[in-house]
Amino acid sequence: MFFQRILRSVLFFVSAASLVGVADFSAAADDSADDVAATPLTPEQSKFFETKIRPVLVRECYGCHSKQAGQSKGGLRLDTQAAMIEGGDSGPAIVPGDLDASLFFGAITHTDFVMPPKRKLTDAEIADFRTWILDGAPDPRVITPVETPAQTIDDEMIAQAKRTFWAYQAPRRSRPPEPDTASTHAAAWSKTTIDRFLLNELDDAGLQPAADAAAPILLRRLCFDLIGLPPTPEQLEWFTAAYDQNPDAAVARVVDRLLDSHQFGEHWGRHWLDVVRYGESTGREVNMTYPNAWRYRDYVIDSVNADKPYDEFVQEQIAGDLLPAADDNEWSEHLVATGFLAIGTKNVNEQSGAQFAADLADEQIDATTRVFLGTSVACARCHDHKFDPIRQSDYYAMAGIFRSTKTFFGTPPSQYGSFGGPQQRRVSSLILLPTDDPDPAGRSYSPEELQQLHQDIRDRQAELVELRRGESATSTRRGASPQQMRIRLTNELGTLSAKLGVVDENGQPRSYCMGVQDADTVGDAPLLVRGEIDQPAGRIKRGLPAALSDVSFSPQPGTSGRLELARWIGSDDNTLAARVMVNRIWQHVFGQGIVPTTEDFGMTGTAPSHPELLDHLAIEFMESDWSVKTMIRQMMLTRAYRMQSTFDVASHEADPDNRLLWRANVKRLNAESLRDAMLVIAGALETERPTGSKVAQAGYSRVRDGQLGDPRDAVRRTMQTTLTSRRGRLAPIFDRIRNGNPREQALARNQLRSAIGNQRMAELATAAYDEGSLDSVSNNHRSVYLPVVRDFVPRSLDVFDFADPSMVIGTRETSNTPNQALYMLNNPLTLRLSEAFAERLLQEGRSTKDRVEMAFVLAYGRPPSAAERTASHRFLSSSGLLPKSALAAFCQSLFAAAEFRYLN
Amino acid sequence: MYTRRDLLKHTSAGFGYLALAGLASLSRTSALGAGADVAANPLSPKPPHFPAKAKRVIFLCMQGGPSHVDTFDYKPALASDDGKRGKYGGALLKSPWQFRQRGESGLWISDLFPEVAKHADEMCLIRSMHCDQPVHPGAMTQMHTGTAQFVRPSLGAWTLYGLGTENESLPGFVSLSPPAGSSRNYSSAFLPAIYGGTKVGGSGGRFAQAARFNAGGGQAVPDISNPKRTTAQQRRQLDFIQSLNRSQMPAGDGANVEGVIQSYELAFRMQDAMPELMDLSGEDQRTISMYGADSDPTRTFGRQCLLARRFAEAGVRFIEVTHGNWDQHARLTEDHAARAEACDQPIAALLADLKQRDMLKDTLVMWGGEFGRTPSAQNGNGRNHNNKGYTLWMAGGGTKGGFSYGATDEHGFEAVENPCHVHDWHATVLHLLGLDHTRLTYRYAGRDFRLTDVYGNVARDILA
Repeated sequence: MFFQRILRSVLFFVSAASLVGVADFSAAADDSADDVAATPLTPEQSKFFETKIRPVLVRECYGCHSKQAGQSKGGLRLDTQAAMIEGGDSGPAIVPGDLDASLFFGAITHTDFVMPPKRKLTDAEIADFRTWILDGAPDPRVITPVETPAQTIDDEMIAQAKRTFWAYQAPRRSRPPEPDTASTHAAAWSKTTIDRFLLNELDDAGLQPAADAAAPILLRRLCFDLIGLPPTPEQLEWFTAAYDQNPDAAVARVVDRLLDSHQFGEHWGRHWLDVVRYGESTGREVNMTYPNAWRYRDYVIDSVNADKPYDEFVQEQIAGDLLPAADDNEWSEHLVATGFLAIGTKNVNEQSGAQFAADLADEQIDATTRVFLGTSVACARCHDHKFDPIRQSDYYAMAGIFRSTKTFFGTPPSQYGSFGGPQQRRVSSLILLPTDDPDPAGRSYSPEELQQLHQDIRDRQAELVELRRGESATSTRRGASPQQMRIRLTNELGTLSAKLGVVDENGQPRSYCMGVQDADTVGDAPLLVRGEIDQPAGRIKRGLPAALSDVSFSPQPGTSGRLELARWIGSDDNTLAARVMVNRIWQHVFGQGIVPTTEDFGMTGTAPSHPELLDHLAIEFMESDWSVKTMIRQMMLTRAYRMQSTFDVASHEADPDNRLLWRANVKRLNAESLRDAMLVIAGALETERPTGSKVAQAGYSRVRDGQLGDPRDAVRRTMQTTLTSRRGRLAPIFDRIRNGNPREQALARNQLRSAIGNQRMAELATAAYDEGSLDSVSNNHRSVYLPVVRDFVPRSLDVFDFADPSMVIGTRETSNTPNQALYMLNNPLTLRLSEAFAERLLQEGRSTKDRVEMAFVLAYGRPPSAAERTASHRFLSSSGLLPKSALAAFCQSLFAAAEFRYLN
Repeated sequence: MYTRRDLLKHTSAGFGYLALAGLASLSRTSALGAGADVAANPLSPKPPHFPAKAKRVIFLCMQGGPSHVDTFDYKPALASDDGKRGKYGGALLKSPWQFRQRGESGLWISDLFPEVAKHADEMCLIRSMHCDQPVHPGAMTQMHTGTAQFVRPSLGAWTLYGLGTENESLPGFVSLSPPAGSSRNYSSAFLPAIYGGTKVGGSGGRFAQAARFNAGGGQAVPDISNPKRTTAQQRRQLDFIQSLNRSQMPAGDGANVEGVIQSYELAFRMQDAMPELMDLSGEDQRTISMYGADSDPTRTFGRQCLLARRFAEAGVRFIEVTHGNWDQHARLTEDHAARAEACDQPIAALLADLKQRDMLKDTLVMWGGEFGRTPSAQNGNGRNHNNKGYTLWMAGGGTKGGFSYGATDEHGFEAVENPCHVHDWHATVLHLLGLDHTRLTYRYAGRDFRLTDVYGNVARDILA
């Protein structure tokens, strides 16, 4: 009983004093808020409010809780009736007629909160508020719904767009043009239907397709395009011979084999992760980790490898939680899939719960429509779309669906509750999976460690209580103000509670995932004028964008409508999903989309270079049961895919952007392929999938300085394990470092240094830094498994144009910067892998001559030219380095040169 | 033994003046090979839209929100109404610092910035700034990118995109020791990556830096030096790499490989130029002392201001320096004094130094935080965030010296005269650089974006 009271007061105290949410925000809140009927006040009520209530609110509260002051501390505003009833992070401030439930009353009576913070209202003022609340809190400060702005896009404009704009009409099957009998040579060129579509356009433009590429070039292209890794010398040897015999069969064999390898999913899954802005942290100023985001990553890789029909893949990501599941495993898989909606960037520092909820839904609408439909509906948040026939009402029709959805992206509460902090105001939980992990990714705790965790939490809670009572003299660490102490203690409580929240009572990790569920309360959302949360106009019936849909939308009563949305997007009921996806596949295979603006199929996007071909592919895709592998196979077995990339002046002048595909596009390898190729050539690649991610091992925490967790903690841990025997003597030193005044701390640090030795300290610091570092220089797994923490992407990826995990990226940049050169010349990873490559050559080659030949075949899939051979031997004999270093420098040079990063 | 400089002289001869063409082949299209005509170098200097005085920017970013009513916004009514109820509740708190008129112009500046105040006649105060965001991250991001809602290019990136840069051995936009997790404030977002800010100096805490140092890193710019090879050895290796590149150059279509070749040459020169630029040992003692770069509490910021001048001198287009922790909800008197003390002398030195080098006329120096602070007290001796009205100042680069623009109300709550939104400020900064903010656009996701979105009016009154 006593304990519960402390807990309650701690939680509320924390909320009040440092603006913390023990909160749960769902769409429910604003429904109730908006539904309070605005019954007119009687003259007595009005007079009472204006003389007794409003002046006190203005004088005492508006400074921190009003729009006028630009402040909503604790997520709370007190300047409108709706805002007071909706309340802040801790719940409704006023519940009309109910003093106990009105947190506002608890605050002014200093029961739960202490408000105003510096002084208590007079007894008479408190009595007035009591009277007012019991009278039903009649309040004239009603926001009358703002008038819905006039639409700038009328029904006729939408109807016209549907009639005339290519992307809003169903794909049409057209017959591939008959080969012109006059040019039998050209007719013989075509191998597949795709070729005939392409050749027709080339013919019309008077262009010729380029000749076939040589076998080594083609094999390197096939391997990198399919699995993101270079061919082995053995594969090269086989293919060169087989291609000579029967090119079609040789290519088909390679394609089939590689489509079946698990590395296919690791490469193509990453393409998808670019588009869905996959990241393992919230990003922004307060960058909190997502320790379970990796489950979604693995889900994507597995789905791609299993060639899961794309329509199912889509539906699972939007509404997996609502789909029927055959068993618990499938149910788990579906839940993990909805991580798509949870992994976006979030500003967990947002003061206003309502603003956060609106931004979250906005992010989900933006991702959903651009990822699956190549259409930006989020543009219509503030006004009708300027270019596309998307109305603001279309946006809010979708917003109702996502506002009726609850998103799980944080960490589950422990038995002590959830703790945010003044920096992390928006707390959230996770979804417990119905199945356990065979091989858990998170930390487990021994009984002693568990006990210690409980003790640490209770200690801090007690400290907070003391601090609140002003009895903090004993517990305040010297040099810190009470405010700083509160922040520090709350942050520590949050960290400790997060550890406890994800394990069972035996300290074993439970399986949680990020994702979504329907909210407890569902309903339509109001249109917000100019997108501002306090400018609600009328509610908009949930639905689908009018220009994109002809089907009626009627969600099951009591549900969000997300399932119906998913079934519409992941189907041929819309005209875009299949086209958008085949276009992406085309881009990865041929180097440029038929629609080059891969995420914009709207009026402002670039029109397709081959509209009939795009439709043909979309229809083929749907008819093949939405099989991505089938599409890739069809594209790679074309004659067009085999073309060489050789330059031709006349063709270039006629079609400088190669939109008609008169030659193969030269592709720059992506960052992952570059790193993975270096690893595999160096003989260092670990091909097994690691369990989870570095982020999962670190758990729920704030990322700073490119570090997971505080390196000081890692040093302490190491010291405590390696120096157990001396622990007794060191404990008081640690205590002084932690709790002493600055002078004592400095002294204690010196004592520690001399006790352990400077050298050892430096080693410990370095080891701790490496352990927590997100740069992951020593990691040998495939790049898709490196941690993707927003703002701290490993340099090996970042420097070569890795997709910014905060944005929907369908087409990466391919820049060519001096930073890349510095990385190739000096980075520890490059140096390490060059040495490993040299080591491999020393072991496998018998002579320098041998090694040079081998090195070129491994790195470029071809032997050196005469000039390269001469230059290589000259470099090896005159580099000024010792022979082994010279060989490493030679290997590094092969990695560094242009050919390594381009696919010709 | 060759010095790196000698080697550069010798070896770069083969590439002549490195035309940086194709250095960054930016779009997919050009990466695919623009053919025989090599893509224009996106960093080469570009003419502005119209003639302008400012050639470069030094932005002194005061993170945390310095109080305008205690520094550059003189409010006599705040002193006389001390303790009374403010407009939005809370008791008004008079500034603990005296304001005085400074210079010929008689601008009112408080005793928090006695050294900067000596340059009053160069300064142009905008006393009517306002933004939409009351919290730090949002307001910082809006100050840099115009919006807090979306990931957008920062002011520096737009500037570089608009004007290119003048030093082929250095990045065109540098941010000195930006706070951790603030990369979106100097990022290029959808602009080509080459326009993003290069972070110089670790943002890491002392611990991280110590650990990196132990690990053999300790580099202000990642991978800027090679731990294993001498310059001569590396040059020989680079010559070998370049010979491979040349042998791999496809006929008729060399843009990609050309770009790679040039990126290596620039990187090689950066290895020399960056550490040299960051090495202050060549500065005379008088200069070092003037910036306070040799003693606390001005050491860190003094060093950064001196570096900023060196980067400016070297031709870098946009230099940002951050000075943090202005967020005094409590302990205003002590902590604001400490923050100001750490930067007052360095800023004054920077202005003086630029002036004596005749660079102030074409260098736009800007000072400001993401918002100001309330005239009313918080926690007794503290002030809360105030985004409705605050002060930012500029000097040089074609601004009117000794000039005050706009005003807040009598206590300093809200901008009431000539309000200058962040968008207006952005428009003005671009204008000072000779760029029309409505014409500096970039096409992304199907529409033309600009720094000021659909807003922004140039504050013409401040133009000299």
